[in-house]
Amino acid sequence: MSTYDKPLPELTEDNRPFWDGLRERSTLTMQKCDACGHIRYPIGRICPECLAPGGTWTGLSGRGEVLSRIVFHQVYNKAFADDVPYNVVLVQLDEGPRMFSNVVGVPNEDVRVGMRVRLHCDPVTAEVTIPRFVPEEP
Amino acid sequence: MSSLKAESLKDRAAIVGVGKTPQGKVPGSTQLSLATGAFTAALEDSGLDKSEIDGLLTFPGTTAPEGPLNYLRVAETLGIDPAYTGSMSMGGGTAGALVQMAAMAVANGMATNVACVFGDAAKTGGSRFNRASGWGDSWGIWGMMGAAANSAIAASRHMALYGTTSEQLGEVAVACRRHASLNPDAVMRKPITIEDHQASRWIVEPLHLLDCCLISDGGVCVIVTSAERARARDLKQPPVFISGMGQAYTSRTLERPDWWYVPHQKDALDRAYAMAGVGPSDIDVAQLYDNFTISVLLWLEHAGFCGVGEAGPYVEGGRIQLGGDLPVNTAGGNLSESYMEGWLHIVEGVRQLRGDGGERQVDGAEVCLVTGRGMTLNCSNAMILSKDGLK
Repeated sequence: MSTYDKPLPELTEDNRPFWDGLRERSTLTMQKCDACGHIRYPIGRICPECLAPGGTWTGLSGRGEVLSRIVFHQVYNKAFADDVPYNVVLVQLDEGPRMFSNVVGVPNEDVRVGMRVRLHCDPVTAEVTIPRFVPEEP
Repeated sequence: MSSLKAESLKDRAAIVGVGKTPQGKVPGSTQLSLATGAFTAALEDSGLDKSEIDGLLTFPGTTAPEGPLNYLRVAETLGIDPAYTGSMSMGGGTAGALVQMAAMAVANGMATNVACVFGDAAKTGGSRFNRASGWGDSWGIWGMMGAAANSAIAASRHMALYGTTSEQLGEVAVACRRHASLNPDAVMRKPITIEDHQASRWIVEPLHLLDCCLISDGGVCVIVTSAERARARDLKQPPVFISGMGQAYTSRTLERPDWWYVPHQKDALDRAYAMAGVGPSDIDVAQLYDNFTISVLLWLEHAGFCGVGEAGPYVEGGRIQLGGDLPVNTAGGNLSESYMEGWLHIVEGVRQLRGDGGERQVDGAEVCLVTGRGMTLNCSNAMILSKDGLK
């Protein structure tokens, strides 16, 4: 694990609950606004809908649908040289937010727009567990 | 709410000078040498004296070491003390945004002749187009990086929802290359076929190499003056009037479910159409921002040339080529002329309306649509340029 050479998130006070949720509880955790209920992503100090500060870190189901799917053949970062071709997906989470990720465990050609997916936690370092996805029904 | 005021800007400014440097690979060039080279060329084109340039707006591109202080460096090098100046960075959205800013400045008396200047040594100077998307490169953890990824996301979903095909994307590449073959200044001039497009390697699926723009060195400058000055007709070139302007942005890349479709582009176009008092049927020729082929399809839908999801079939059969219903990117665009982040789209619009298009001239072109878009699909703008102003 110490040789992991791909980009890693910079852990800060603002985003630590997101990464702790993945590492400690295998749960996707996002901020839910206490005033309007909007679940926001990316992580931020105020709600982009109503501007209320703070919010409550809330565990999500980790389930969603692939909105778009692309496959990288070009190597933009040498650390991914052995991974190409690899997919990146835009996932619509059931609770509302969207995020980028990868669908793992199936060939790229089997990853399709509209397919249901669920969270798959991938611990890549002692501190960081990257949220990826697998098909909901194997 | 603001539309009445915006309409008062119709035909209040004109483009009277355009200039560019050699394009492609320009060894020894720097952002500054390209920017100032383009300025000199535009000044010569306009017939204005340097002392008359009292506004300077610049785009630092990807290779200006001073970044947002670029306007100071360019002004120092050119020996200009402007009444109005600044730099802005919106990627491919910058050209249109700066020209519109210049038009607002001259229409309101803040300056008389504003030079909008861009230079980038992206090819020889090392571009930063490969970085990961998202603030702080945050999407890099999933390998989401490089300039093609966001457009690939758009193309993939457009294909899934509407049945758009890779061959239809190829129609855009073929059209731009054919037009570039008629442009002696274009970087890529050898005509290509749909088969060539299909055989080109994947970059980020569903985008092939020939769906992607070039990476280029070069500089471009556009000089904007007031309508009053332009109508005096004492300048070297016939003026091209800025009849409509519109901009629209979304920074809510993930917060907006339809971000991939860049729906704000339609708002920018609607604002430009409203100011000019025209619609899609009035457009003789269009210069549509094309960092990737899918971008042209989205513009065609947002601009009302076809319905939502219909741009794939629309571009078939050479419809956007010279001689077709709507000639698009008549100089070759970002895909084949040179990747000047949309600046050359404005230059080509001016050329077409001056009647200087040479072999690629659209007969009788009087109204041209020019669009720009930049960053993570965030920044968009549109302009209606016209030969004589619009009644």
